[in-house]
Amino acid sequence: MEQENVLQMQQVNKSFDRVVALCDVDFELKPREILGLLGGNGAGKTTLMNILYGLYRADSGTILLKGQPVTIHSPRDAIRQGIGMVHQHFLQINNYTVLENIILGSKVSHPLSANYQVEEAAIKELCKRFGLEIDLSARVETLPMGTRQKVEILKALYRGVNILILDEPTTNLIPQEVDSLFETLKIMVREGLSIVFITHKLREVLSICDRITVLREGKNVVSLTRKEASDEALVRAMVGDKMDLEKSVMFTSHAESSAVAGSQEVLSLEGVSLISQHKIQQLTDISFSISSGEIFGVAGVAGNGQRELAEVVMGIQSVTSGKINFNGQEITTHSTKERIAEGFVYVPEDRLSDGFLNKASVAHNLILGYHNLEPYSKKGIINWKNVHENSRKMISEYNIKTTGPDEIGGNLSGGNIQRVMIARAFSQPSRLMVAHNPTRGLDIPSMDFVYQKLLGNSATGTATLLLSEDLDELLLICNRIAVMYRGKVVGILPREKFEKYEIGRLMSGYEQESK
Amino acid sequence: MTQIKKFFPYLISVLAAFLVVGILLWALGFNPVKAYQTILFTSFRTPNGFVQTLLKWIPLTLTALAFTVPLSSGKFNIGAEGQMLVGAIGATAVGILFKDLPPALLLPLVVLAGMLAGSFWGLIAAWLLYQFNINEILSTVLLNFISFALVDFVATGPWRDPAAGHPTTIPIGANGFLPMLVKNPPLHSGIILAVVVAIAVYIFTSKTTSGYELLVTGANPRASKVHGIDTRKMFLFSLVIGAAVAGLAGVIEVAGTHHRLIEGLHSNFPTLGLIIGLMARGKNQAVPFVAFFISILEVGGSAMQRTIMVPVQIVLIAEALILIFILLSDIIKRRQK
Repeated sequence: MEQENVLQMQQVNKSFDRVVALCDVDFELKPREILGLLGGNGAGKTTLMNILYGLYRADSGTILLKGQPVTIHSPRDAIRQGIGMVHQHFLQINNYTVLENIILGSKVSHPLSANYQVEEAAIKELCKRFGLEIDLSARVETLPMGTRQKVEILKALYRGVNILILDEPTTNLIPQEVDSLFETLKIMVREGLSIVFITHKLREVLSICDRITVLREGKNVVSLTRKEASDEALVRAMVGDKMDLEKSVMFTSHAESSAVAGSQEVLSLEGVSLISQHKIQQLTDISFSISSGEIFGVAGVAGNGQRELAEVVMGIQSVTSGKINFNGQEITTHSTKERIAEGFVYVPEDRLSDGFLNKASVAHNLILGYHNLEPYSKKGIINWKNVHENSRKMISEYNIKTTGPDEIGGNLSGGNIQRVMIARAFSQPSRLMVAHNPTRGLDIPSMDFVYQKLLGNSATGTATLLLSEDLDELLLICNRIAVMYRGKVVGILPREKFEKYEIGRLMSGYEQESK
Repeated sequence: MTQIKKFFPYLISVLAAFLVVGILLWALGFNPVKAYQTILFTSFRTPNGFVQTLLKWIPLTLTALAFTVPLSSGKFNIGAEGQMLVGAIGATAVGILFKDLPPALLLPLVVLAGMLAGSFWGLIAAWLLYQFNINEILSTVLLNFISFALVDFVATGPWRDPAAGHPTTIPIGANGFLPMLVKNPPLHSGIILAVVVAIAVYIFTSKTTSGYELLVTGANPRASKVHGIDTRKMFLFSLVIGAAVAGLAGVIEVAGTHHRLIEGLHSNFPTLGLIIGLMARGKNQAVPFVAFFISILEVGGSAMQRTIMVPVQIVLIAEALILIFILLSDIIKRRQK
C-alpha cells in the first residue's frame, strides 16, 4: 500500500536572471523516511530546499503539506509548519552557550529574567529522547564540528519540526562524526520525523537513505528506493550521458591512484613555523617533502592551518622560522613572484577574495600571476593577441561558460569562476602545484576533469600539494596524506595505510590530547 | 550596438541634467534655449572660443588623470590641488633662480622641477600609506591645505612682485616660457604635453605588464598579492605618478599661461578634475573626452554670464547634476539585474 506523503512539491520552477535553476521539479517526502536528495553542484538541490524553507520564492509551483496546499514566505512560516533546515554553515553565536543558542529567538517562560530552567529541562528531555549527548552549558565555539551540528539539529527539534532538511551535513565532519550523525538520523526517523538529506556523495546516500531522488541541471532525473538503486544507475543519473565514465577517475573500477612518485625531491619544508602579526601561533614545526610526480594530500578540519601552510609555501606569508627548499635550493626568502617564475602554481581556496578579479575581464583573470611570462608578455609589454588566443583555448577546454575573453569576471557564476582558476593554474607549465579545495563548487564531470588534470600533471613530473576538506578526494588521488591539527602535522600516512577512521582520529586531535 | 548601449545612460544623464537646469533658468526668468545655445556653441563659434576651450582642457585633463591613475590601483588621490600648486611652485622657483639659462635648458628644467615637486607632494601621502597604512584620502586632502599656505609664503616672500595687488611672484625667465603654437588667439604648447601624457597613460595601462598590474591591483588587491604582485608598491607608484601629472598641470599654468606664480592659479580645475574622473568612471582613456565636454561647458558658461547675465554657477549646477544622474544610472542598472 502506498503511504501518503507528508510533503509534496509539484511543478516547481525557479530562475535567477536568465539562469534556470529549477524546471518543473516534483518532489515528495513520505513519513518516517530519510530521503536522499542527490546531485552535483548546480543541480538545484539546495535551491529546491531553500524554496521549501522560505528563503527563496518559487516562480511557480505548489507545496502540499499532508495533502493541504501551504504558502511559505519565510523560515518563520516554515518552522510554524513544522519544517526545519540545518545549513551547511551553522547559524550560531560563537560565544553563547549551547542552551542560549538553542532558545535564541524562541519564546521563553520567564522573559524578564535569565532563568531558563523550564527550557533547559525541555531540551534535556529532547537530548535523552534522541540520544544526543551535548553539554548545554558549553560555549559553542569550544565544540567540535560534529557537536555543533547536533546543536543545530537540536535547535530544529526544540522548535517542534517534523520535517528536517540537512544541507550537505557531512561536509566538515570526520568519519566518526558522520557515523554518529547517521545514528541520530535513524533515531529521529524512529521518533516520527521525516528527513531530507542533501548530498553529492553517493556512498552516504546508499548507506543511510530509504529513498533517493536525483536532480540534474534543475530537473528531476529519477527517484528510486534503496533496493532499486545501484551505484551505476545513480552515477549515470547524476552525471548524465555526456560524461565518459571509462576515462573517469572518480568512478573507475580499479580505485587506484595512477600518480607515481618519482625519486627526485621537489619541495621540502624543514621545521616551518608561522606566528601571525597578532602573535598567534599558526603553524608549528612543520616538516615534510614532496617528490616529483607525487600528489601529497593535506587533510584536516577547516581552519587548522591549511591556508597558512599554502600561503607559506607560495611565499604570500613569510615563515617565522624554518626553511623551505625547492629542487635542493633554499627559497625561504623568495617572493611569490620569484616562486611563480620558478614554476610554482597556486589554486587558492577562497576564490572570491584570493583568486578572482570580479571587476576585470576573463582574459585579465586567466593570465593573473603569469602575465610576466611568455607568451603573454615580453620585456614588459603584454601581447594581447596571444592572451586572447590562449584565453579562447582555455575557455573551450575548461568549459567556462562566458561570452568571451572580454566579459567582465563578475558576470560569471561560482562554478565558472572556479573553472577560470583551474584553467589558469593547469594551463601553466608547473613544477609545483599548490591546490586548496580545487573542486569546490564544481559539478561532478568537472570534478572528475580536475582529477584527470591532477594525474596528468603528476605524469609530467609536477609535484602537487593538495589541501582539501573532502577526505574522499584525498583518499582517491593522493600518494600520501598528512593530517593537520591546530597548525601541526600530526601524522603522515602512505597510500597503503590509508584508512578513513585513522585519519578521522588524527583530524580530531585525539592523539595530541592523549599525550 | 553594444557601444551605443553603453553610451545611452550617459546621454540620458546629460539630457536630464540639462532639462532640470533649463527649468531652473526658465523659473529665474532667463531664456533657456538661448542660454544653452551660448553654453554649447561658444567654443565653436570663434577661434578664440576654441582656443579658450583647449586651454581649459589642458589642466582639466591632467588633474582628472591625477585622480584616475591612482584610482586604477584602487587609491583615491584627492590631493591634485596641492600637487598642482606645489608643481607650480617648483616650476616658478627654477624659472626664477635660473632665469638666464638658454631655452633648451631652462624649459626642460622648469617642466622637470614642477613634475618632481608635484610628485614629491604625492610621495608624502604615498609613503605614509606604504609605511604606516595611513589613509591616502585624508593625507592628500590635508596636504592641500599646507600647499595653500606654501603658495602664500612664496608669493609674498622675497620673490613677491611689489607692483601686483594680489599675492604674485615676479615672472620666471622668458626662456622658460612654453613656446606659442598659435600667436593669435594665443595657444601655447602645453597642449602637446597634455596630449602626450594622456596617450602615455593609455599605452601604459593597456599595453604594459606594469599597467596590467596596476589595473588588477585595483580590481582585487588581495588576489593580486596572492598572485605575486607587490600591491603596496603599486599603491605607492600610482599615487606618485598621479601627483607628477598634477604637478605638470601646475607647470603649464606657470610656464604657459601666467608666466609667474599667482595665488589661486589652480582655479577650480582640480575639483572639476575629480568630477571628470568620476564621470569617466575612473577610465583613463575616457578622461580626455569627458574633459573636453566639460571645457565646452566651462567656456560656454562664462560667455553666458557676459552676454545674457546668467550667473556662471548655473554651469556648475549642470555639471554636478550630470554626475549625479550618471551615478543614479549605475544604481538603476544594478537594480535591473
